[in-house]
Amino acid sequence: MSQGKAGTERWAAARVAANAAAHGVSGSAEYDDEVRARAVYSAEAGLSFFHTHAEGLGLILFFTSTVVASAVPWRRARVLLYALLGLGSLFPLGYLVYGVAALELGRDTGIALAETWILTPLGSATLAGLLGLAVALAARRRRA
Amino acid sequence: MSDAWRLPPLAAVLVAVVLIVCAEAGGASMVRFKVELTRWARGVMLAHPEVHGLVGVRDVDERILDEALVKFDAGLRLFHLHAEGMGLVILATTAVAATLARGRRVRGVMIALLTAGGAGYPLGYLLWSWLIPHHGIERGKSIAEWFVWMPFGGAMIVALWWLAGLVVLRLARR
Repeated sequence: MSQGKAGTERWAAARVAANAAAHGVSGSAEYDDEVRARAVYSAEAGLSFFHTHAEGLGLILFFTSTVVASAVPWRRARVLLYALLGLGSLFPLGYLVYGVAALELGRDTGIALAETWILTPLGSATLAGLLGLAVALAARRRRA
Repeated sequence: MSDAWRLPPLAAVLVAVVLIVCAEAGGASMVRFKVELTRWARGVMLAHPEVHGLVGVRDVDERILDEALVKFDAGLRLFHLHAEGMGLVILATTAVAATLARGRRVRGVMIALLTAGGAGYPLGYLLWSWLIPHHGIERGKSIAEWFVWMPFGGAMIVALWWLAGLVVLRLARR
């Protein structure tokens, strides 16, 4: 991201120009510059969020699945929690879609698409997995 | 002594997992309720003009409000980041303490400090965000520092140095 910043900016600006209608480019240089800058910023934000969330969620999957393996005694519950946490760990990919869709479909439409169809379902899977793990731990603690 | 890792107490693991849940929920809420949160913070700030030095001149006030709203948002982001990170730090460090600390009491105190310090510290950012509209950026920060960051962060630092010393001791005895 840091080495390829200039190239990414050029590519993003070219995609905005190629999808002029989706971005509402008007032909007025001042307005179009603002639209382009906002779309390029969103694409870069998507890449940046992908980087930070992929690092964080990788660790969260690693540690929480270790806790599931060590502390949840019920096989079916373990399988369900692995599935939810594993699926949820794909959440950062939503930010790659966020960055690309903001350029291809227009900033607001692209971001809404990534949020509605990828970030929200995958984020919900992570939350459900973590809540399930918390409930399983509390249940085991009560039994002990 | 066995080379196998020992599971920390379930209570510590539960606190860590709940903290990560709070971080995730906080991150999602920040995006989902961004407009509502901004509107609430702005409303509270406008209700306390003397706290923020608002003078009634739109050009001046908007700049002050914008700065406070950026900090308000930053506090929520930092809560999200720190709560996720500290959840993992609690899991990792309490596992090290459970494995390496031999005395039952020492292990208990160390794990309690790591868990309480790690879980409490990120809440300071949430408190700071909530305090900004009511008490201003600097006063809010000062309250969060004295009541949350210093005690809980201090507990964490003490426990981490203690743990580091313990690891060095184990290495030296090998």
